[in-house]
Amino acid sequence: MFLDESADDVREWAEGISFPVLLDREHLLADLYAVSNVPTVVWIDADGSIARPNSSEVGNDMFVDFTGVTPDEHMQQVRDWVREGTVPADADYEVEDLTDDEIAGRLAFRLAAHHRRNGDEARAAEWFATAGQLAPMDFTIRRAAMPLQGVDPFGEQFFELFGAWQEAGSPYHGVPRN
Amino acid sequence: MPRVNVLSADAATEVDAEIRAGRVVVNAVDVATAVGWDLKPEGLCRGDVCVPVRDDAGVRIDDGVDLGAVAGLLGMATLVDEAGRAMAISAPAAARKAALKGRVAPDFSLPDLDGALHTLEQYKDRKRLLIAFASW
Repeated sequence: MFLDESADDVREWAEGISFPVLLDREHLLADLYAVSNVPTVVWIDADGSIARPNSSEVGNDMFVDFTGVTPDEHMQQVRDWVREGTVPADADYEVEDLTDDEIAGRLAFRLAAHHRRNGDEARAAEWFATAGQLAPMDFTIRRAAMPLQGVDPFGEQFFELFGAWQEAGSPYHGVPRN
Repeated sequence: MPRVNVLSADAATEVDAEIRAGRVVVNAVDVATAVGWDLKPEGLCRGDVCVPVRDDAGVRIDDGVDLGAVAGLLGMATLVDEAGRAMAISAPAAARKAALKGRVAPDFSLPDLDGALHTLEQYKDRKRLLIAFASW
């Protein structure tokens, strides 16, 4: 599921993927599951219960130089879950709920995106700024707004955000990474 | 009548509305269009479910309906952009709380890259991974 504005933004990332690739332009799934950054993976059992909640997991080595994380451990955990039904020790973690400011920030983001779609860049900029002030550590707001404002999400502003986020204790709605 | 863009969890629609003291006031018949719940004598209804609306809930204002009050009764958060004539409304909090506290995976309906809709429910009775990603 991609937290992106249009299918065009997503297509090259989705090449070769055989499972459903969905577009969540309004970040509704991010709201329903309290996702505050990507990648986030949720394990859902056959009965519709959450077997393991939000965790930050990678699928390949694309960013290993930056994150220091490989996909191997998670892939093995998923295999064990599928084949044996076992889950890791952290599976019962209770994900922190969104705060009122995070909820308001996400609403502000949607207003901004709406105005941008309608060509009202001034209003869009105002609302992106408001959204970022309400929820400065929410990457589905701060980083998602970057490409919508002509800013490289892998550039300087991202590194500033990342530094501030680390200084704030790397807040994340999900299983803490040890 | 002036229009307001209502960005609800289900859809983006445009309805006749006045903004009075920061409140978005719509015609009762447009409540369903705006938030996906119908304002009936029994209350706010969607499918088989009706939420009672007390007279003092502030839902009805003069000749219209306060959309923010409606949203509040349904557990939806709202944000009004008066100058921009838009209003954003979240999904009811109940589904998110059921996910986080009750570990019940909320259903959803989203399009794939070809526009076809997919729900969590249509893949039921098997294990699933929900992967949130982005081009950023």
